[in-house]
Amino acid sequence: MNAPLIECRQVKRFYQMGEVTVQALRGLDLCVDSGEFIVLLGPSGSGKTTTLNLIGGLDRPTEGQIVVAGEDITRYTEKQLTDYRRRKIGFVFQFFNLIPSLTAVENVEFALTLTEQNGRNLRRKAVALLDLVGLADRADHFPSQLSGGEQQRVAIARALANHPPILLCDEPTGNLDAGTGQQVLQVIRELNQQEGTTVVLVTHNTAIAPMADRVVRLRDGQIDHIEVNERPLSVAELAW
Amino acid sequence: MNRTLLLKSLRDLRNAWAQTLALIFIVALGIASYIALVSAYRDLGASYQHTYEQLKFADVTFAVQGAPALVATEIEQVSGVTAVAPRLVIDTGFERADGEQIRARIIGVPPDDQPAVNQVLVEDGRYLTSDDIRAVLLESHFAKVYGIKPGDTITPIINGEKITLTVAGVVASPEYLIVSPSRQEIFPSVRTFAVLFMAMPELQTLTGREGEVNEFAVLVDENRDREEVISEITAVLAPYNLETTIRQEDQPSNATLRLDLEGYREIAFLMPGLILLVAAASVYVMLGRLIRAQQPQIGLMKSLGYSNTAVLAHYLTFSLLIGIVGSVLGVIGGLVLTRGITSAYANELGIPLVQTRLHPDLFVSGVLLSLFFAILAGLGPARTSARMAPAIAMRLDPATALSDGHKSWLERWLQLPLSFRLPLRNVFRVRRRSFSTGLGIVFSFILVLMSWGMIDSMNGLLRRNFEEIEQWDVVAVFDTPQTEALVDKVAGWEGVQEVEPLIQLPATIRTDSKDEDVLLTAVSPAQTMHIFQFSDSLTPEAALANDQVVLATTLANKLGLQTGDTVILDTPFGEHKFTLSGVSDEFSGTVAYISLEQAHQIANMPMPVYNGLYLKVDPAKERMIKRDLYHLPGAASVQLKSDTRADIESLMGLFYLFMGIMMAFALGMSFALLFNAMTVNVLERERELATMRAIGTQNGRIVRLLTLENIILWAVTLLPGLISGTWVAQQMGQAFSSELFSLQITISPLSYLLTALGILVTMLLAAIPAIRRVNRLNLAEATKVLT
Repeated sequence: MNAPLIECRQVKRFYQMGEVTVQALRGLDLCVDSGEFIVLLGPSGSGKTTTLNLIGGLDRPTEGQIVVAGEDITRYTEKQLTDYRRRKIGFVFQFFNLIPSLTAVENVEFALTLTEQNGRNLRRKAVALLDLVGLADRADHFPSQLSGGEQQRVAIARALANHPPILLCDEPTGNLDAGTGQQVLQVIRELNQQEGTTVVLVTHNTAIAPMADRVVRLRDGQIDHIEVNERPLSVAELAW
Repeated sequence: MNRTLLLKSLRDLRNAWAQTLALIFIVALGIASYIALVSAYRDLGASYQHTYEQLKFADVTFAVQGAPALVATEIEQVSGVTAVAPRLVIDTGFERADGEQIRARIIGVPPDDQPAVNQVLVEDGRYLTSDDIRAVLLESHFAKVYGIKPGDTITPIINGEKITLTVAGVVASPEYLIVSPSRQEIFPSVRTFAVLFMAMPELQTLTGREGEVNEFAVLVDENRDREEVISEITAVLAPYNLETTIRQEDQPSNATLRLDLEGYREIAFLMPGLILLVAAASVYVMLGRLIRAQQPQIGLMKSLGYSNTAVLAHYLTFSLLIGIVGSVLGVIGGLVLTRGITSAYANELGIPLVQTRLHPDLFVSGVLLSLFFAILAGLGPARTSARMAPAIAMRLDPATALSDGHKSWLERWLQLPLSFRLPLRNVFRVRRRSFSTGLGIVFSFILVLMSWGMIDSMNGLLRRNFEEIEQWDVVAVFDTPQTEALVDKVAGWEGVQEVEPLIQLPATIRTDSKDEDVLLTAVSPAQTMHIFQFSDSLTPEAALANDQVVLATTLANKLGLQTGDTVILDTPFGEHKFTLSGVSDEFSGTVAYISLEQAHQIANMPMPVYNGLYLKVDPAKERMIKRDLYHLPGAASVQLKSDTRADIESLMGLFYLFMGIMMAFALGMSFALLFNAMTVNVLERERELATMRAIGTQNGRIVRLLTLENIILWAVTLLPGLISGTWVAQQMGQAFSSELFSLQITISPLSYLLTALGILVTMLLAAIPAIRRVNRLNLAEATKVLT
């Protein structure tokens, strides 16, 4: 049996808020296999975004280990973490977080320049990525000229720029209407199925859960229970 | 306002503590400069006035050829005269032990008691007594230059004999706060001009003028018409050959001081005014950004039911708190600085009785000004925010965080790589942000160039005057006519390279409506010792043709004269009509030039005579040549250019002090301005920068992007900054120019370069805290915050 791609071992994350200690995660144990599509569900404050941030190297646990592709990222230096995020992780944020002064294709190029040494093919590769999310024809538009769904798809293209094995999505549809949200989920699903990208998706929206391979429900910083979908639904089948 | 909102204001300011401190610092600097410079100006004026009152400085001085001292009793009888001091004043000289030739003025004063007018303040030693034999009081400027103390001796020539006199005391005199021997020699001669006070009977005996005086110093009742009193005294003195009547405002030292202070009055108001304006504009911009960043909170407050007025009041509290704290610190700083400036100036010029007072009106106006500007600054953004519909203010639509992107013509043209395109677009992306940041940079240019320009121009002016215009090394003036034989004799001396004769005469230049006392200098058109600075192609030969006169630019402007205008020159040889042939842009504003030939015609001399010499000499031998010149019969004064330059630089002490302080203010304020601009610039994009880091961009690349952006911003503001800074400096120069001299602002390329680089370096340094903050951002939070 293959080792899991992501392994969280007794991960705790406490925040000191003045005199109060907030226990965002209280000993999380979670394994994610390569190519798996995981949805983290739970009410506000349950620890789902904290889990995502810890896996993505945006934050460090107070205790415990996070092993990704056999390496304990909690031991990484800041520089190593930066490199880890660049090569292993693709982020999709709720608010898209595109750079407003760059066009769609340039936003993708910006991420490509982090690893690509050959500057000549950057644009071609960036357009190809936009094509993957159905936005090649909007390549030269600035974020302010794109709809929310289009912006999120650009963000996904950017996240995929360096072929990360892991895609972390934090409420990717949280700021989109149902139709647009479905389009975005479709792109993510296709990436997962066609490219084998491992997806960890955080959402409040329980309607999304049936499309995942597994649904991890969190409560008070711990896993409440995990549901395995024997037959994940396609996006079109979701009851949105 | 309720307590919670006040607490919120305080905490909001505390959260943005670095920006708040920078704003407080800017306000404090503005107020401190306003209070310090205006108070110092007032205190200096008051110190002069106080010194004049305490030492009974003469309202009018009458010089006669000679009159019995008892005439003073007749003058006292004139209605309106409150005191009279008859005195004997003689101009002579002496040689110091080191061979330095000194001009000396000996003034007779009553022993035991101070004179009724023009008293002296004993700073060291004691006043003269009737028992003193061969004792003098020495004026303090000269005593300080040579370290002369009571008990030392001086040996002036009196009535042809060297008389050794012991210094009984070192004194300050209201007539010599600035040591100006005459109206034509306005610049101080502290190294070569000594004023001694001797017991009158002894001086009369030594000069063989027993019972005789040649000056009457008079105090006039301030409630009387001074001119009427003067004309009555003139009548009394008619039999004694009245030579000159010098009113207090024309007295050389006082006139120079007055002009000096007038120059600073403009600067004392203009410079702090500008700093306050910059401070106000900075507070306006920064506070606006601070308040706009709170837009969602404003929406929340309104959705909870707070009225527009309550929201407005809440955000005005920001301004008020900054204004109050800034002005209080400014007042304290201003107080400390005032004392420093006044004392430094008084010490520099030797004002004996310094007065520093509190000026409550300045404190009140300073605080009111700062509050006014702070409220004005807060009002705009606070009103805009208060008027906003709560739903719009609170809407967390990512589109609200997006500004329109566009490609600039520059990048289309240059085909820049992404690493250049991004910072370039960021500069032009949010125009309001870039404009306010750019404004901060332009303000910094203005502040620095304003003071630097003044210092640079003054240095340039002195350098130009002493290195380009005045080519002589030594100038000698004689009180008896000299012939070509002297010129030939001096030209043959060892170390003398070139000699040019000249004539210098006191004269009055008249137009239809104005007149000015000038030093009329006659030179050969072919001479090379004084290089005229004509703006056109006028040659010295044409300018100094028959009946043509050349005036210094400042003098021509003051008299409202244009080339071709006619003027009357009133010389000791009578009145003569001249045409203004040209204006020479030179340092001194009290000189007029005609040709030697013309001067000989006016004086109706049978042969060419002169009363002065310009010399070019071997620098190693200039002291020796100076001494030899003094030993020539009739030598009245010998000046080395190097000494004159040093003396003038000393007179400019206040100028350099003021400008030094302004420069310190400018640098401090520039840093605060740029720090705030750079910080806000980065903080407003925290999420964007955090996202870059989140996707794996290294800190170094972010630093390079931000640095490049700042460099582009600097480059964009460079030209407007330099132009506006130069323009403001020019206005300051105009305000500072007086009839003494004209200050044309000329900033050297090196100064421009250093200013530009200095501001760039300051910008980059000021951005460091913000960049460090970005590098320490909590990425998990920052990528979710909608800014």
